[in-house]
Amino acid sequence: MRSDPDLAHSAAQGNESAFAELVRRHQGKVRGMARRLAGSEATGDDIAQVTFLTAWQKISTYAGGTFSAWICTICWREFLQWRRRQKMEIEFDETAEIIPFDRSADQTEMRMDLTRALETLSEAQRVCVVLCVATGLTHQEAADVTGWPLGTVKSHVLRGVALLRTRLENANVA
Amino acid sequence: MREQDAYKDLSDLFRVEDNALPAEPFTRQVMHNVRKRKRMRRFVVGGLGLIGASIAALQLPELLGEWVGVDKTVTAALTTAPSELSTAAVNQLSAAAMSNPMWLAIAAGAALCVFAVSAFERA
Repeated sequence: MRSDPDLAHSAAQGNESAFAELVRRHQGKVRGMARRLAGSEATGDDIAQVTFLTAWQKISTYAGGTFSAWICTICWREFLQWRRRQKMEIEFDETAEIIPFDRSADQTEMRMDLTRALETLSEAQRVCVVLCVATGLTHQEAADVTGWPLGTVKSHVLRGVALLRTRLENANVA
Repeated sequence: MREQDAYKDLSDLFRVEDNALPAEPFTRQVMHNVRKRKRMRRFVVGGLGLIGASIAALQLPELLGEWVGVDKTVTAALTTAPSELSTAAVNQLSAAAMSNPMWLAIAAGAALCVFAVSAFERA
Protein backbone atom coordinates (compact mmCIF):
# COMPACT_ATOMS: atom_id res chain seq x y z
CA MET A 1 0.00 0.00 0.00
CA ARG A 2 1.33 3.42 -0.96
CA SER A 3 2.19 5.80 1.87
CA ASP A 4 0.44 9.14 2.38
CA PRO A 5 3.51 11.24 1.40
CA ASP A 6 3.90 9.13 -1.74
CA LEU A 7 0.25 9.66 -2.68
CA ALA A 8 0.51 13.37 -1.89
CA HIS A 9 3.56 13.62 -4.15
CA SER A 10 1.61 12.00 -7.00
CA ALA A 11 -1.38 14.24 -6.33
CA ALA A 12 0.88 17.31 -6.45
CA GLN A 13 1.79 16.23 -9.98
CA GLY A 14 -1.88 16.24 -10.92
CA ASN A 15 -2.71 12.58 -10.27
CA GLU A 16 -6.41 12.64 -9.34
CA SER A 17 -6.66 8.97 -8.37
CA ALA A 18 -3.84 9.42 -5.84
CA PHE A 19 -5.72 12.33 -4.32
CA ALA A 20 -8.95 10.32 -4.31
CA GLU A 21 -7.15 7.62 -2.34
CA LEU A 22 -6.02 10.22 0.21
CA VAL A 23 -9.61 11.47 0.51
CA ARG A 24 -10.84 7.89 1.00
CA ARG A 25 -8.27 7.27 3.74
CA HIS A 26 -8.78 10.47 5.69
CA GLN A 27 -12.40 11.40 5.08
CA GLY A 28 -13.66 9.64 8.22
CA LYS A 29 -11.23 11.47 10.46
CA VAL A 30 -11.78 14.87 8.82
CA ARG A 31 -15.56 14.55 8.68
CA GLY A 32 -15.65 13.36 12.28
CA MET A 33 -13.52 16.29 13.35
CA ALA A 34 -15.56 18.85 11.40
CA ARG A 35 -18.88 17.42 12.57
CA ARG A 36 -17.78 17.48 16.21
CA LEU A 37 -16.37 20.99 15.98
CA ALA A 38 -19.38 22.40 14.14
CA GLY A 39 -21.92 20.40 16.13
CA SER A 40 -23.83 19.47 12.99
CA GLU A 41 -23.41 16.60 10.54
CA ALA A 42 -24.41 18.59 7.45
CA THR A 43 -22.22 21.58 8.29
CA GLY A 44 -19.38 19.27 9.26
CA ASP A 45 -19.54 17.53 5.90
CA ASP A 46 -19.58 20.89 4.11
CA ILE A 47 -16.48 21.97 6.02
CA ALA A 48 -14.84 18.63 5.21
CA GLN A 49 -15.63 19.12 1.49
CA VAL A 50 -14.02 22.56 1.50
CA THR A 51 -11.09 21.15 3.47
CA PHE A 52 -10.31 18.58 0.79
CA LEU A 53 -10.74 21.12 -2.01
CA THR A 54 -8.26 23.41 -0.27
CA ALA A 55 -5.97 20.43 0.28
CA TRP A 56 -6.06 19.70 -3.47
CA GLN A 57 -5.11 23.29 -4.24
CA LYS A 58 -2.32 23.34 -1.67
CA ILE A 59 -1.11 19.75 -1.96
CA SER A 60 2.24 20.86 -3.34
CA THR A 61 2.91 22.70 -0.05
CA TYR A 62 2.66 19.45 1.94
CA ALA A 63 6.24 18.90 3.02
CA GLY A 64 6.08 15.36 4.41
CA GLY A 65 5.33 14.56 8.05
CA THR A 66 1.98 13.36 9.32
CA PHE A 67 -0.64 13.86 6.63
CA SER A 68 -3.38 13.71 9.29
CA ALA A 69 -1.92 16.73 11.08
CA TRP A 70 -1.60 18.64 7.79
CA ILE A 71 -5.19 17.97 6.70
CA CYS A 72 -6.51 18.63 10.21
CA THR A 73 -4.79 22.02 10.20
CA ILE A 74 -6.65 22.89 7.00
CA CYS A 75 -9.89 21.59 8.52
CA TRP A 76 -9.38 23.72 11.63
CA ARG A 77 -8.84 26.85 9.48
CA GLU A 78 -11.90 26.09 7.40
CA PHE A 79 -13.89 25.63 10.60
CA LEU A 80 -12.72 29.04 11.88
CA GLN A 81 -13.66 30.63 8.55
CA TRP A 82 -17.07 29.03 8.72
CA ARG A 83 -17.49 30.45 12.22
CA ARG A 84 -16.50 33.89 11.02
CA ARG A 85 -19.04 33.65 8.23
CA GLN A 86 -21.66 32.67 10.77
CA LYS A 87 -20.85 35.90 12.60
CA MET A 88 -19.99 33.95 15.69
CA GLU A 89 -16.71 35.65 16.29
CA ILE A 90 -16.29 34.38 19.79
CA GLU A 91 -12.72 34.18 20.91
CA PHE A 92 -11.82 30.76 22.18
CA ASP A 93 -11.82 31.58 25.84
CA GLU A 94 -10.45 29.04 28.29
CA THR A 95 -13.17 30.03 30.70
CA ALA A 96 -15.87 29.92 28.03
CA GLU A 97 -19.06 28.17 28.99
CA ILE A 98 -20.66 25.47 26.94
CA ILE A 99 -21.99 26.67 23.61
CA PRO A 100 -25.33 24.95 23.15
CA PHE A 101 -26.31 23.39 19.85
CA ASP A 102 -29.78 23.40 18.42
CA ARG A 103 -31.54 20.31 19.62
CA SER A 104 -35.06 19.20 18.95
CA ALA A 105 -37.14 17.83 21.80
CA ASP A 106 -36.86 14.20 20.75
CA GLN A 107 -33.10 14.48 20.42
CA THR A 108 -32.88 15.90 23.93
CA GLU A 109 -34.61 12.85 25.27
CA MET A 110 -32.23 10.50 23.53
CA ARG A 111 -29.80 8.49 25.57
CA MET A 112 -26.58 10.35 26.14
CA ASP A 113 -24.04 9.13 23.65
CA LEU A 114 -20.46 9.97 22.92
CA THR A 115 -21.22 12.98 20.74
CA ARG A 116 -23.65 14.46 23.17
CA ALA A 117 -21.27 13.87 26.05
CA LEU A 118 -18.65 15.76 24.04
CA GLU A 119 -21.00 18.67 23.58
CA THR A 120 -21.34 19.12 27.32
CA LEU A 121 -17.68 20.12 27.59
CA SER A 122 -16.54 23.73 27.43
CA GLU A 123 -15.58 24.81 23.94
CA ALA A 124 -11.83 24.87 24.54
CA GLN A 125 -11.98 21.40 26.12
CA ARG A 126 -14.11 20.12 23.28
CA VAL A 127 -11.67 21.41 20.67
CA CYS A 128 -8.71 19.81 22.42
CA VAL A 129 -10.52 16.52 23.00
CA VAL A 130 -11.69 16.42 19.36
CA LEU A 131 -8.18 17.06 18.05
CA CYS A 132 -6.27 14.77 20.40
CA VAL A 133 -8.69 12.03 21.41
CA ALA A 134 -11.08 11.79 18.45
CA THR A 135 -8.74 12.77 15.62
CA GLY A 136 -5.62 11.22 17.12
CA LEU A 137 -3.24 14.17 16.92
CA THR A 138 -0.46 14.41 19.48
CA HIS A 139 -0.64 17.25 22.00
CA GLN A 140 2.14 19.04 20.16
CA GLU A 141 0.34 18.68 16.81
CA ALA A 142 -2.88 20.00 18.36
CA ALA A 143 -0.96 22.95 19.80
CA ASP A 144 0.51 23.64 16.34
CA VAL A 145 -2.91 23.37 14.68
CA THR A 146 -4.69 25.71 17.10
CA GLY A 147 -1.78 27.96 17.95
CA TRP A 148 -2.48 27.45 21.66
CA PRO A 149 0.31 26.78 24.17
CA LEU A 150 1.20 23.11 24.63
CA GLY A 151 0.48 23.27 28.37
CA THR A 152 -2.99 24.66 27.72
CA VAL A 153 -3.78 21.88 25.27
CA LYS A 154 -2.54 19.22 27.69
CA SER A 155 -4.61 20.58 30.54
CA HIS A 156 -7.76 20.85 28.41
CA VAL A 157 -7.32 17.28 27.19
CA LEU A 158 -6.78 16.01 30.72
CA ARG A 159 -9.85 17.79 32.11
CA GLY A 160 -11.94 17.09 29.05
CA VAL A 161 -11.21 13.37 29.09
CA ALA A 162 -11.99 13.17 32.82
CA LEU A 163 -15.31 14.97 32.30
CA LEU A 164 -16.14 12.86 29.26
CA ARG A 165 -15.59 9.66 31.24
CA THR A 166 -17.78 10.94 34.07
CA ARG A 167 -20.58 11.91 31.67
CA LEU A 168 -20.43 8.56 29.89
CA GLU A 169 -20.38 6.63 33.16
CA ASN A 170 -23.36 8.63 34.47
CA ALA A 171 -25.22 8.01 31.24
CA ASN A 172 -24.55 4.29 31.44
CA VAL A 173 -25.69 4.17 35.06
CA ALA A 174 -28.86 6.08 34.17
CA MET B 1 3.73 5.52 27.93
CA ARG B 2 2.54 7.55 24.94
CA GLU B 3 0.15 10.38 25.76
CA GLN B 4 -2.55 8.79 23.58
CA ASP B 5 -2.51 5.56 25.61
CA ALA B 6 -4.19 7.36 28.51
CA TYR B 7 -7.40 7.70 26.51
CA LYS B 8 -7.12 4.89 24.01
CA ASP B 9 -10.52 3.52 24.98
CA LEU B 10 -12.22 6.82 24.11
CA SER B 11 -10.20 7.17 20.91
CA ASP B 12 -11.39 3.72 19.86
CA LEU B 13 -15.01 4.75 20.40
CA PHE B 14 -14.56 7.83 18.22
CA ARG B 15 -12.74 5.78 15.58
CA VAL B 16 -15.64 3.35 15.39
CA GLU B 17 -17.98 6.29 14.70
CA ASP B 18 -15.65 7.72 12.04
CA ASN B 19 -15.11 4.37 10.33
CA ALA B 20 -18.87 3.91 10.08
CA LEU B 21 -19.14 6.95 7.77
CA PRO B 22 -19.55 5.78 4.16
CA ALA B 23 -16.45 6.87 2.24
CA GLU B 24 -17.46 6.46 -1.39
CA PRO B 25 -20.25 9.05 -1.81
CA PHE B 26 -18.18 11.67 -0.03
CA THR B 27 -15.05 10.88 -2.04
CA ARG B 28 -17.03 10.99 -5.31
CA GLN B 29 -18.42 14.40 -4.36
CA VAL B 30 -14.97 15.76 -3.49
CA MET B 31 -13.47 14.50 -6.74
CA HIS B 32 -16.40 15.90 -8.72
CA ASN B 33 -15.73 19.34 -7.19
CA VAL B 34 -11.99 18.97 -7.80
CA ARG B 35 -12.60 18.26 -11.50
CA LYS B 36 -15.08 21.12 -11.76
CA ARG B 37 -12.58 23.53 -10.26
CA LYS B 38 -9.83 22.20 -12.52
CA ARG B 39 -11.99 22.76 -15.62
CA MET B 40 -12.86 26.27 -14.49
CA ARG B 41 -9.18 27.05 -13.87
CA ARG B 42 -8.23 25.79 -17.31
CA PHE B 43 -11.02 27.81 -18.90
CA VAL B 44 -10.07 31.06 -17.16
CA VAL B 45 -6.31 30.68 -17.65
CA GLY B 46 -6.76 29.55 -21.26
CA GLY B 47 -9.24 32.33 -22.00
CA LEU B 48 -7.08 35.05 -20.53
CA GLY B 49 -4.02 33.61 -22.26
CA LEU B 50 -5.89 33.63 -25.57
CA ILE B 51 -6.95 37.25 -25.09
CA GLY B 52 -3.37 38.23 -24.25
CA ALA B 53 -1.99 36.35 -27.24
CA SER B 54 -4.59 37.93 -29.54
CA ILE B 55 -3.70 41.43 -28.36
CA ALA B 56 -0.01 40.67 -28.86
CA ALA B 57 -0.63 39.20 -32.35
CA LEU B 58 -2.67 42.25 -33.38
CA GLN B 59 0.20 44.52 -32.40
CA LEU B 60 2.84 42.45 -34.19
CA PRO B 61 2.70 44.14 -37.66
CA GLU B 62 3.00 47.58 -36.12
CA LEU B 63 5.80 46.38 -33.88
CA LEU B 64 7.78 44.99 -36.84
CA GLY B 65 7.27 48.26 -38.73
CA GLU B 66 8.60 50.15 -35.78
CA TRP B 67 11.69 47.97 -35.71
CA VAL B 68 12.41 48.79 -39.36
CA GLY B 69 12.06 52.47 -38.47
CA VAL B 70 14.46 52.14 -35.63
CA ASP B 71 16.88 50.25 -37.86
CA LYS B 72 16.81 53.06 -40.42
CA THR B 73 17.43 55.65 -37.77
CA VAL B 74 20.41 53.74 -36.47
CA THR B 75 21.82 53.34 -40.01
CA ALA B 76 21.46 57.04 -40.60
CA ALA B 77 23.11 57.80 -37.30
CA LEU B 78 25.96 55.43 -38.19
CA THR B 79 26.70 57.19 -41.45
CA THR B 80 26.25 60.73 -40.30
CA ALA B 81 27.53 60.78 -36.80
CA PRO B 82 29.55 57.73 -35.77
CA SER B 83 30.65 59.36 -32.58
CA GLU B 84 27.08 59.81 -31.44
CA LEU B 85 25.96 56.33 -32.37
CA SER B 86 25.38 54.80 -28.99
CA THR B 87 23.64 57.82 -27.50
CA ALA B 88 21.38 58.33 -30.50
CA ALA B 89 20.36 54.68 -30.75
CA VAL B 90 19.52 54.43 -27.10
CA ASN B 91 17.52 57.66 -27.28
CA GLN B 92 15.59 56.49 -30.32
CA LEU B 93 14.81 53.10 -28.86
CA SER B 94 13.61 54.43 -25.54
CA ALA B 95 11.60 57.16 -27.25
CA ALA B 96 9.91 54.57 -29.46
CA ALA B 97 9.17 52.40 -26.45
CA MET B 98 7.83 55.25 -24.35
CA SER B 99 5.80 57.02 -27.03
CA ASN B 100 4.19 53.97 -28.62
CA PRO B 101 1.19 52.69 -26.65
CA MET B 102 1.41 49.26 -28.26
CA TRP B 103 4.23 48.43 -25.88
CA LEU B 104 1.90 49.18 -23.05
CA ALA B 105 -0.76 46.95 -24.63
CA ILE B 106 1.72 44.10 -25.00
CA ALA B 107 2.94 44.57 -21.44
CA ALA B 108 -0.66 44.63 -20.22
CA GLY B 109 -1.43 41.42 -22.11
CA ALA B 110 1.62 39.69 -20.68
CA ALA B 111 0.85 40.94 -17.17
CA LEU B 112 -2.72 39.69 -17.51
CA CYS B 113 -1.49 36.21 -18.46
CA VAL B 114 1.02 36.13 -15.60
CA PHE B 115 -1.66 37.30 -13.17
CA ALA B 116 -4.11 34.65 -14.38
CA VAL B 117 -1.57 31.88 -14.02
CA SER B 118 -0.40 33.01 -10.58
CA ALA B 119 -3.95 33.53 -9.30
CA PHE B 120 -5.03 30.04 -10.21
CA GLU B 121 -1.80 28.27 -9.38
CA ARG B 122 -2.30 25.54 -6.81
CA ALA B 123 0.75 26.36 -4.70
